[in-house]
Amino acid sequence: MRRTAYRFLAAISLLVVAANSATAATRPHYGGTLRVMLQSAPNALDIPANAPPPDYWDIARTLSLIGDTLVTLDAQGRPQPALAAAWQSDPSARHWQFTLRRGVKFHDGSLASPAAVAPILDALHPGWNVRASADSISIESETATPSLLAELALPRNLLLKRNGSGLPIGTGPFQVAEWQPAKLLKLAANEESWAGRPFVDAVEIEFGKSLRDQAIALELDKADIIETASQAANGAQRKGTSSALSLPVELLALVFSPNSRAQDPRLREALALAIDRKPIQSVLLKGAGEPAASILPNWMTGYSAVFSAQANPQRARALLADSRPPALNLSYDPRDPQAQLIADRIALNAREVGITVQVSLSGAEDIRLLRVVLPSPDPTTSLTEAARQLGLPQPAFPVTPRGNPLDGRSLDGRSLDDLYQAERSALDGYSIIPLFHLPVASAASARVCGWAPDQDRLGEWNEAGHSLADVWLVESRAGLQANSLPQAGSR
Amino acid sequence: MSFRKKLLLLFAATVLLCVAVISASVYSTIRRSFERADQDRANAVAAQFRSEFQRRGQEVARKVESVAAGETVQRIALDMNRGAADSGDHVSEARALAGQQQLDFLELVDSRATILSSAQWEAKFGYPEAAVPAAAGTAGAFLKREELPQGATLGLFAVRVARVGEQPLYVIGGERLDQGFLSTLDIPTGTRVLLYQNLDAKWNPKSLLDLNGPAAGVDKIAPLVAKVRDTLQESQGVIRWTSDSADAEVFHAIPLTGPVFNSPNQNSVNQSAPNLNSANQNLTNQSTANQQLLGVLLVGSSRRPLIELQRQVVSTAMLVGGVGILVAVLTSLWFAARVTRPVVSLAEAARRVAAGDLATKVEVESSDELGELAASFNRMTEDLVQQKDRTLQAERVAAWRELARRLAHELKNPLFPLQVTVENLMRAKQKSPEMFEEVFHEGTATLLAEIDNLKTIIGRFSEFSKMPQPQRQPTQVNEVVRSVLRVFHAQLRGNDNDKEKNQISVRTELAEALPEISADPDLLHRALQNLVLNAIDAMPHGGALTIRTATLGDRIEISVSDTGSGLTPEECGRLFTPYYTTKQHGTGLGLAIVQSVVSDHGGKISVASTKEKGTTFRIELPYDFSAFSASLR
Repeated sequence: MRRTAYRFLAAISLLVVAANSATAATRPHYGGTLRVMLQSAPNALDIPANAPPPDYWDIARTLSLIGDTLVTLDAQGRPQPALAAAWQSDPSARHWQFTLRRGVKFHDGSLASPAAVAPILDALHPGWNVRASADSISIESETATPSLLAELALPRNLLLKRNGSGLPIGTGPFQVAEWQPAKLLKLAANEESWAGRPFVDAVEIEFGKSLRDQAIALELDKADIIETASQAANGAQRKGTSSALSLPVELLALVFSPNSRAQDPRLREALALAIDRKPIQSVLLKGAGEPAASILPNWMTGYSAVFSAQANPQRARALLADSRPPALNLSYDPRDPQAQLIADRIALNAREVGITVQVSLSGAEDIRLLRVVLPSPDPTTSLTEAARQLGLPQPAFPVTPRGNPLDGRSLDGRSLDDLYQAERSALDGYSIIPLFHLPVASAASARVCGWAPDQDRLGEWNEAGHSLADVWLVESRAGLQANSLPQAGSR
Repeated sequence: MSFRKKLLLLFAATVLLCVAVISASVYSTIRRSFERADQDRANAVAAQFRSEFQRRGQEVARKVESVAAGETVQRIALDMNRGAADSGDHVSEARALAGQQQLDFLELVDSRATILSSAQWEAKFGYPEAAVPAAAGTAGAFLKREELPQGATLGLFAVRVARVGEQPLYVIGGERLDQGFLSTLDIPTGTRVLLYQNLDAKWNPKSLLDLNGPAAGVDKIAPLVAKVRDTLQESQGVIRWTSDSADAEVFHAIPLTGPVFNSPNQNSVNQSAPNLNSANQNLTNQSTANQQLLGVLLVGSSRRPLIELQRQVVSTAMLVGGVGILVAVLTSLWFAARVTRPVVSLAEAARRVAAGDLATKVEVESSDELGELAASFNRMTEDLVQQKDRTLQAERVAAWRELARRLAHELKNPLFPLQVTVENLMRAKQKSPEMFEEVFHEGTATLLAEIDNLKTIIGRFSEFSKMPQPQRQPTQVNEVVRSVLRVFHAQLRGNDNDKEKNQISVRTELAEALPEISADPDLLHRALQNLVLNAIDAMPHGGALTIRTATLGDRIEISVSDTGSGLTPEECGRLFTPYYTTKQHGTGLGLAIVQSVVSDHGGKISVASTKEKGTTFRIELPYDFSAFSASLR
């Protein structure tokens, strides 16, 4: 009887311990090195002005682990405090004042005071008049800057100093421990991060890894977080890892070169009408993203349905009935694994209506298949950035003083109508043919916890509430070991 | 043309003809042989192509069968039938499968004939594939046009079906039919193979492939290809690439056809779509129903060996002909010389005989017909000589007889009165002595007169026998004529009593600027005088006397015409015989003297007469007698 009871109690105890162990394993805890793989291979920890999307996201994400901006934007485009705790502007939107958080230090131990931060901002924006006071920074500009907050939230406005070796020093959750240009970046946890020490002790980022290599590494448990092609995200999920698709934050479009042989607007319109986006999205993109006929995605503007993305080959043929269009060269980014197939499909669609398009990486290009980044949830900012990347003239917005009807879409208070007109104007003449709005995709191994693969993500690693600083690592089931509990002051 | 030249030409022509005939027959035989060999080569290459075509088709079918039976296709078919297929998952499958089987083309097509995955054009997913399901029942391979991003091409395809559940999954795969296929053929030396991919509505030179890809400079083949395109029949033609005929090639064009595929919805193509055997037959004549020309196989054979051999034959023939002609010329020269020498000798002898040398003999060198001819000629000349002698002798005898007759006749006349006179004297002496003196005076007078007559007759004969040689000097014949007419002026006027009835009119037609001739004016005067005298004697009742002078090349002509009674041909033939006369009284020496004078001056005299019309004597005298006499020497 007693033996039976003791055996029962022992079994119960074991079960409790096991349960506790399992629970302990899924609770946030410190330690470990997060292994990340990225495609790009930057020679400097810097965001080039016209970085193509993969490189942009990689550098932006990496630097966002090292530094902070004054503010961030959430998926709804609402500004959130970052290094700046509070801010205000005058009615003309020419004078802004930001109150910095107190006690924030750079990785080198120096205070991130207004006096230290102001020069950084001033260097980033020579056209601004940046002044530091005791606990705030004022920014003055000659013209109204109603979208200043959206601008300050962009990764290019990360507040980073440079040490003697040119390495960035910021106030972010991680600091640079080792840097091998184009190969490896080791980040160490910032013990004194103002947002709290990250759970992981270090982040190792390997650069220059192809998506295929990254996928293999993930399968072989040699990487924790990788990039994936958007159409592979579902596949990763099926394989037991987690994947995340951001909101559509990229635009895939056809851009006509200035010297393109397709100068006739009818030819361009015919090409636009010939492209059948649905099979491309369903087959090549595996359902990811959404067909686009506008520059800005619908989640930013809500009016993208006004721009028709429907194919109309009959109309396209009618437009070309009286002409013999020249053969056009279509180029694409060879690093984009989907680009060639999409370009081939576009060429095939064009051929159906009598336009000869040759997909080639050599020779004079008439059209480029291009991905551009929509870096901000603020539509005005993204439209401006997209126009810059696409080589279009900057959108001309009417001067809209604050106080005009707001619909909450635009941070700078511009009306949807202004935005629509600006976008429509940019698309007139078919300088570009928007094709798809695409998300950015990542995948994480089973080792990564606290990395929520939901849809409200902007593809960044320092999003409010969704940051790599907040993930922790667990061992695999086969080698389950006790992990240390979170220390005091944890996130 | 001489007999020798004719023989020479005949021999040369014979040799040339023989050489030409032989060369032509050799030339023709060689060409036929080459054409046969060329045809055999083309047939061999075509047969090889058919064999390789069939083999490759079987291989393609096997590979496609392997793909269709493979795990990947089976899985996709299973997903399709379960409704779980995500077309996006299979977009790249075909490329991987094609790579595994080393196929140039591979497509996975669903039951609606929609492409799920295309190896050769990945972006073609969702598009219809016309060859499916029409060709699904085809056991073998078939030719098909395949559209690619960079353009259309030809391929050898096979279709297999993966039946997993109710919805079939079609696998259509193939290999390119291009220069790579041609390189697998074992092509004989001097032959080449081209493949024209009939992918355009019009002739496209870039579609003509050889072992290295698009062939260059081949527009001249376009008409041959066009002919095959129009007729779908095999054809043949000679392509001359340059002006040199040795660079030409004979091309055999063989049509390559494939089935016509309608849209998958219609599916109206014959379910017994052509299998490889039919494709094999497509290489020869076949109905055009449901077939389209997809390519043309061109087998070319160089004509260089034939042309060079022909040239060699021609040059050899010309060389042989030339040598033959040369030999023929030399041979014929020798042979003709041998053959014609006796003929030439005979001809020369005949000329000499014609010139008067009757003693000419021809040497008899052979016993053949020419020898007989020569002997006959010699006999003939001997006969001629003998006959001439006999004739001369006869003429002499006749002339002597004539002379004797004339002498007898001439002498008899004066002798009779002599005899009578002497008899009268004797009678008178005997019977009438008293009248004897008177009779004696009369008789002696008569005797003296007749004796004078005899002396005159004898003097004429003596004069004729002692005709002097001409004393030549430049002589104006017209003056001689005028002087002769002056002599006969009174006689020509006639007696006063019968002036009108017996007057002879004189007409002179003397050539102006008659050149002087080398002649004896006196003898010439005498000859003309005799002719005028004869003319006057021929017109006892009057008439017309015409004297003409004219130039005849290197001679002058003097003609004396009368309108007398004329002469018979027999009389004309004997006129110039001495002592021949038609007059009652005459010695018959006048015309003989004229002939003698004319002959001594190197001329000739002829007579033309018509009875009752008149007579014309023509004398031809050379300008220069010395040249004439030299020619005689």
